[in-house]
Amino acid sequence: MANVDWEAAERSPEFQELVRKQRRFILPATAFFLVWYLGFIVLCGYAPGFMGESIYEGFTVGYALALTQFLMTWVLGWLYLRKADREFDPLRERAAAQAVAAAGGGVAEPRRPAAEPAGTPTEGVGR
Amino acid sequence: MIPLADVNVEALAMFGVVLALTLGITYWASKRTRSATSFWAAGRVISGPQNGFAIAGDYMSAASFLGIAGLIYLYGFDGFLYSVGFLVAFLTVLYLLAERMRNAGKFTIADVLAFRLQQRPARVAAALGTLAVAGFYLIAQMVGAGALFNALAGVDYNIAIVLTGVFMLTYVIFGGMIATTWVQIIKAVLLMTGATAMTLFVLGEVGWNPINLFNEARDASPEGDKYLEPGLFLTSPIDTVSLGLALVLGTAGLPHILMRFFTVPNARAARSSVMWAMGLIGAFYIMTTALGFGARALLGEEGVEAAGPGANLAAPNLAEHLGGGDGTFGGDLFLAVIAAVAFATILAVVAGLVISASGAVAHDLWTNVIRRGRSTENSEVTVARIAAAAIGALAILIAIIGGKTLNVSFMVGLAFAVAASANFPALLLALTWRRFNTTGAVAGVLTGTLSSIFLVIASPKVWPGADADGGLFGEGWTLANPGIISIPLGFLACWLGTVLSSRTQDEARAEATFHELYVRSETGLGAEQTEDGQALVGAGRRS
Repeated sequence: MANVDWEAAERSPEFQELVRKQRRFILPATAFFLVWYLGFIVLCGYAPGFMGESIYEGFTVGYALALTQFLMTWVLGWLYLRKADREFDPLRERAAAQAVAAAGGGVAEPRRPAAEPAGTPTEGVGR
Repeated sequence: MIPLADVNVEALAMFGVVLALTLGITYWASKRTRSATSFWAAGRVISGPQNGFAIAGDYMSAASFLGIAGLIYLYGFDGFLYSVGFLVAFLTVLYLLAERMRNAGKFTIADVLAFRLQQRPARVAAALGTLAVAGFYLIAQMVGAGALFNALAGVDYNIAIVLTGVFMLTYVIFGGMIATTWVQIIKAVLLMTGATAMTLFVLGEVGWNPINLFNEARDASPEGDKYLEPGLFLTSPIDTVSLGLALVLGTAGLPHILMRFFTVPNARAARSSVMWAMGLIGAFYIMTTALGFGARALLGEEGVEAAGPGANLAAPNLAEHLGGGDGTFGGDLFLAVIAAVAFATILAVVAGLVISASGAVAHDLWTNVIRRGRSTENSEVTVARIAAAAIGALAILIAIIGGKTLNVSFMVGLAFAVAASANFPALLLALTWRRFNTTGAVAGVLTGTLSSIFLVIASPKVWPGADADGGLFGEGWTLANPGIISIPLGFLACWLGTVLSSRTQDEARAEATFHELYVRSETGLGAEQTEDGQALVGAGRRS
């Protein structure tokens, strides 16, 4: 692991693709949950009357909005997990394998036979 | 309802069951705690679901169980606002920190900072942030424990604190993170079971219709419709926003929560553990409304006095009522069970706090600052045990000397403010901002910590009385929660410190080593492995 060229690993197309795809999900999702949450908090602070309005026999706007926060957290959490399992993890593995292969250590990636190291695979790179 | 200073035999018997179980686990764990990795990170073999339960157990303190139920009972909707913030905060943890911490760190949050920054100043700063948060939180929990067991089981306040401290230290010193993890898992199961049972009883009382619960609670409150509106407890709008901000960002700076991500085998397990924790914590916080509104509907205004300061005893009193009332077998039993759940709750949280504080002292300050990395892993664990004992003894002393006069909610608020203003900006920027350097980190942590402490000390909460309505700043100053000022200040200091010092030679290194930290934190390449040496490179499919 010591001879991995981290700068090159960072520049590699695999890593750049990973970062770009992660960012495309995390930035909008973070912006959304912060706006939705802080919007709720601001309404609690500045519009208590509105939050106390009854939607249905004592079930208030405020309580309904609070419940949407719970729903939002679970849905956004689940979406991220799904995205990470299906999209980010394979990219992470590819980026890591590429960096190890480029360093001449470990198991080379099948798709890049040119990077096959001359020596025996070193330890620490399982699978 | 609860006879004060009158020993409650059923409650003590239930406490005994909790203690027997947790001490048994500690004995089992002590046999497995051989290395630094097992002491601080449980060998990194805790599974995602297990860690999810442990995070829930580490996070949901007695302040959330009893405190939020009490707040909702007294002030209605405002108490629920805390519940929302405490949960949404886990999205910040999941998106920004959980996996990156696992990939980049070893035992403490300082490991992540020191990875690319200069070892000694970065570790001192991170240790300061950790100790400040863990210290305020720990003292708050200890004072709460003393007051609670005094009221619930009739144990003397000082004896209750000493006992809590001794058990907490037993788990940590002998069983390390393995024992702490399982105590937290058991606590999470007990707390969820207790809260679910109470919620079902409450719903049964209102004809299984939650809408009835709102109406009956409102009718039982002298505030009427206002009871279902925000504003009864959080009377200053700007302070409400400030609190909300500290809640949603503070969790991502709590050292005892972040430390849990070092106990799982890989990033995949880290993120699945957050999802499990979100499920448990969310379900629990929705149930706090059933507890709080249920206490209001069933105990009414007459129950306020018996619920004690901050209505912390509203939930146990509700349990007694649901079981059949004072003096009945069912009432006594349900009260005793809920008291034991509260006891387990406190023990699990304080154990997590002490082990994170011991990491800051032994792994960061002792090994890497004082000994400059020359001490062995064995001596590091010995120092950690001594540090845990010292921290525990100090917390016991402060809780006893400060006594019940120490304001628990103010100290929990302070812990969240420091976590959000000092630890969170430094960690986030170390992992994501290429130019971030040592001066920036030290400036950010110091500014975040000191401004939080100063603003809380200057707040109206601490300067009560007719002459000091606005605290130190006079009339019109309503900010009891410093987050809205201290969080931007923390980020600003990180940025200013960085740009003002970026041309120096020492700081150029931070930028150069960013490549390694960046690739490692995103891909897991080179991340710490599980203790049995199993190689888990990359994102890892095995979890």
